[in-house]
Amino acid sequence: MIIYTPLYLELVLEGLEDMKEPKTRQVELDGVPLVIEDTGPGQGRVVKLISTNPRDYLRADLYPGTEIKFTQQWSKP
Amino acid sequence: MSEENRGNGKNDFPYPPDFEPDHGCDPFDPNAPVPQEPQPDKQNQSGMQNLKEFGTNNLPDGKSNIHCLTIIGQIEGHLVLPPQNKTTKYEHIIPQLVALEESKDIEGVLVVLNTVGGDVEAGLAISEMVAGLSKPTVAIVLGGGHSIGVPIAVAAKYSFIALTASMTIHPIRLNGLVIGVPQTYEYLDKMQDRVVRFVTQHSRINEATFREMMFRTGELARDIGTVLIGQEAVECGLIDEVGSVGHAVDKLKRLIRDKNQKQWEVQSVQ
Repeated sequence: MIIYTPLYLELVLEGLEDMKEPKTRQVELDGVPLVIEDTGPGQGRVVKLISTNPRDYLRADLYPGTEIKFTQQWSKP
Repeated sequence: MSEENRGNGKNDFPYPPDFEPDHGCDPFDPNAPVPQEPQPDKQNQSGMQNLKEFGTNNLPDGKSNIHCLTIIGQIEGHLVLPPQNKTTKYEHIIPQLVALEESKDIEGVLVVLNTVGGDVEAGLAISEMVAGLSKPTVAIVLGGGHSIGVPIAVAAKYSFIALTASMTIHPIRLNGLVIGVPQTYEYLDKMQDRVVRFVTQHSRINEATFREMMFRTGELARDIGTVLIGQEAVECGLIDEVGSVGHAVDKLKRLIRDKNQKQWEVQSVQ
């Protein structure tokens, strides 16, 4: 892992030790499997797409960082 | 509603009402259409949300045949960077490039760069993907295209740099604990060679000049290397032309037209 940047590394990596691993989970939205981070009840933020369809990655509404709202659906494990 | 649910006569429980109010639909009929809540206009809603959240407005729909790929901030690689960094995520950009190559609607890609570098592997991966696209590509460096932004800028078939934009060329460094100095040195040298090779293969600059710039002293306060601004990047052969977004889009459209014309000629010969 080499970071190649003219910025000072202490600036780039500041707070790296305090970073908590975000609580993520996998959901499916419109048939697109996503990894989301819960930000509150019924809402989350897209962390990344794990779809194998390249077209999904051009969808502006699923770009990482987008807030999404969803209704909880209970299903049998 | 079936008869047994309703009861047979007037004296059976539940007593039927003297008159049936007309609701327009039968609430007990499972096949009756469900009254729909008015749905907000999706397009309009996302526009409002963007306006509220980011202060930006959605442009009216109009399919463009070029796709704009923006590389901003740090190029984030295998390590998730702390949240004060603005990052471009390679795991999203790479499949996007696959989609662009495969898409029939998109005929050209405009790479807009304003980056301070980042992960070597991720940057080189994006560079290779951009260089490998069969569609016309034009890169434009605005603000800055530093370090690993340099190979991404030269990866496009034609590159522009804004008059005031800068590009920093400096050696690769390793942070953290170093075990085995000779091996680490070898490794770093190899990593650096990857960047140098890519840049010299995809631009007019020669290796000796690029390496000399990389190790020049006296230009940067805390590092060795060179800062190229606008015209200087063109003069040394790294970038093709000084220009702004208008020139870049114009060039891309011309490349698309040339490609389509060539295809048409090939077809007419056959």
